[in-house]
Amino acid sequence: MNFFSKIFELFSTEKYMEIIFEGFKTTLIISVFAAILGLLIGTVVALVSISEDSPVTRVLKAICKVYITIIRGTPMALQLFIMAYVIFTIRGFPEEITAIIAFGINSGAYVAENIRGGILSVDIGQTEAGRALGLSSRVTMFKIVIPQAIKNVIPAIGNELIALIKETSIVSMIGMFDLTMAAKIIGSGNNMASYVVPMSVVALFYLAIVYLLTFAIKRIEKRLRASDKR
Amino acid sequence: MISVNNVFKYFGDLKVLNGVSCEIEKGERIVIIGPSGSGKSTLLRCMNLLEQPTYGEVWLNSQLLTPPDPYLHFDVIKKSKTFTLLLEQLRAENSSLSEEELEQMAIMKIKAEDLLKKHEGKEYKKSLKEITVKYGIDINLARQNMGMVFQHFNLFNNLTVIDNLTLAPVQLGLKTKEEAEKTAMELLKRINLEDKRDEYPSKLSGGQKQRIAIVRALAMSPDVMLFDEPTSALDPEMVGEVLDLIKELANEGMTMVIVTHEMGFAKEVGTRVLFMDGGVIAEEGTPEEIFDNPKNPRTVQFLKAVL
Ligand SMILES: Nc1ncnc2c1ncn2[C@@H]1O[C@H](COP(=O)(O)OP(=O)(O)OP(=O)(O)O)[C@@H](O)[C@H]1O
Ligand SMILES: [Mg+2]
Repeated sequence: MNFFSKIFELFSTEKYMEIIFEGFKTTLIISVFAAILGLLIGTVVALVSISEDSPVTRVLKAICKVYITIIRGTPMALQLFIMAYVIFTIRGFPEEITAIIAFGINSGAYVAENIRGGILSVDIGQTEAGRALGLSSRVTMFKIVIPQAIKNVIPAIGNELIALIKETSIVSMIGMFDLTMAAKIIGSGNNMASYVVPMSVVALFYLAIVYLLTFAIKRIEKRLRASDKR
Repeated sequence: MISVNNVFKYFGDLKVLNGVSCEIEKGERIVIIGPSGSGKSTLLRCMNLLEQPTYGEVWLNSQLLTPPDPYLHFDVIKKSKTFTLLLEQLRAENSSLSEEELEQMAIMKIKAEDLLKKHEGKEYKKSLKEITVKYGIDINLARQNMGMVFQHFNLFNNLTVIDNLTLAPVQLGLKTKEEAEKTAMELLKRINLEDKRDEYPSKLSGGQKQRIAIVRALAMSPDVMLFDEPTSALDPEMVGEVLDLIKELANEGMTMVIVTHEMGFAKEVGTRVLFMDGGVIAEEGTPEEIFDNPKNPRTVQFLKAVL
C-alpha cells in the first residue's frame, strides 16, 4: 500500500478519526485554558514587578522574581511531572486540570516578562505627562501606558501562545492522550502499523492551528497600529 | 505661590542641585537660563515633584509637597534630646553668650553635622511623620494646579487630540465628559486646531503637538505653568507659533516658570530671570539687570557664548 491509500485509510476509518479528534480536543482544551491562565498570571506578575516600591510590593516583587527564575530555569517536562506526581497526587484528580495548571504557570512566567518589557518600552514621558496632570499612577498606567504597551507586546505574546500549543505535546509523558499521542496510537502495531501517515496528518493539524493563530495575531496587530501610522 | 526652600538633589553620587531657594509669586514669569547640565530641568521637575528632592522642601500655596526637612523646622530641632544636651554643653563652655546665641549655635551645629539622624533614630522618624500628617500632602491634587509642558510634548499617543485634552479633567472628576469637551473645543479653537480634534498625535507637526500640549495643561485651569524648553525640539519654522501662544498666556497674567534657551524670548516675556550654574542660582534679577548688566562673571561668560 502506498502513502496516499494509507491517508485514505486513516480518514475513512471512523475509529482512527475518533482517536484523532479525541486527542485534538485534549490539546485544544489544555492550550486554551493554559493560555488564559498564563495571561492572567503574567499580567498580575508584570504589574507587581513594575509597581512602585513599598514594603508590601517589595516582598511581592521578590516572590515574582523567584517564580520567574524557577520557571524559566527548569524544563517544562519536569514542571509537569512535579505537578502530576508531587502536587496533584490525589487519585482521580482530572489530569486535564493538572496539565492546564502546569502549562498556565509556565506560560505565565514568559508572558510576565513580555508584558513587563512592553510596559517599560513605553516612553517614560507618557507617564510623566499623566502624572504631571495630577492623574494617579494607576490611572496613568491603565489609560495611557498599558494601551500603548499592548501594541508592543502582542507579537511576543503570540509567539508565546504558539510555543505553548506545541509544548503541550509532552503531556503524553504523564499518560495523557493528546493529539501527538493520537498519532502514536494510530501508528502502533495493532492499528495501522505505520507511523508515517498518522504523524504527518497530526503535523498538519498543528500547522493549521499555528497558522490560524499567526493570522489572527497579524490582524489584531494591524488593527492596533491604525492609531499610529507615521 | 511656589516656594523652593534649600533644595538639594542627588542622582546617585552626582549632586545636581546644591541648595536652591526661590519664591515665585502670583503673576510672576520666571525665566530660568543657564548652561547645559546646570540643573534647570531638575529644578523645574522638583517643583511638581516629578523629581523628589533629596533634601529641602517645596511648597505650593502654603501646602508642603515634599516630605518635611526637619532641619528647616526649628521646632523639631528644639524638641530633640540632642538639642537639649548640646545646649547644656555649649552653655557650660561659653558663659559669655546669650541664651539666644547659644540656641542659634546649637541649631547650626545640629544642621551641619546631621545630628538628628545620627542620634534620634525613631524619634526623628516620628517627628517627620507628624509634620507629614499635619500638612496632609496630596501630590496629585497639587499637580492639578501646576501645568507642565515638556520639551518632547508627550501627548498621549494612544488618544486622539480631544481625548488628550479631556482625559485628566474627566478622570479626576472635575468635569463631566460634555463640559470637558466643550472646554477642549474652545481651547482648540483658540489655537486654530479645531479640525484636528479626532487626529492622533502621530499625524501632527511638532508645533501643533506642542500647542496642543500647552492647551492640554490649560484645560486643568492651573494656577501656574511650568515650561521645560518648550521649543528646543521644534524645527525653526515652528518655534514662532509656540512662543506666540506662550506670550499670549503671559499677557493674560498667567504665572509661569520657563526654562529656555531662547534669550530674546526670555528677555521679552520674563519678569525675573534666574541664571543657574553648577546646581545653584548664580545670579537673579530683572531681564534688564541680567541681560544688559550681568554682575556674575559666569553670567557674563554664558551670555557671551549664547548671544
Ligand atoms: N534621572 C537622572 N538620572 C541621573 N542623572 C540625571 C538625571 N536627570 C538629570 N541628570 C543629570 O543631572 C544633571 C543636570 O540635568 P538637568 O537636566 O537638570 O540639566 P539642564 O540644566 O536642564 O540641562 P539642559 O540644558 O541640557 O537641559 C545632568 O548632568 C544630567 O545628566
Ligand atoms: Mg533640561
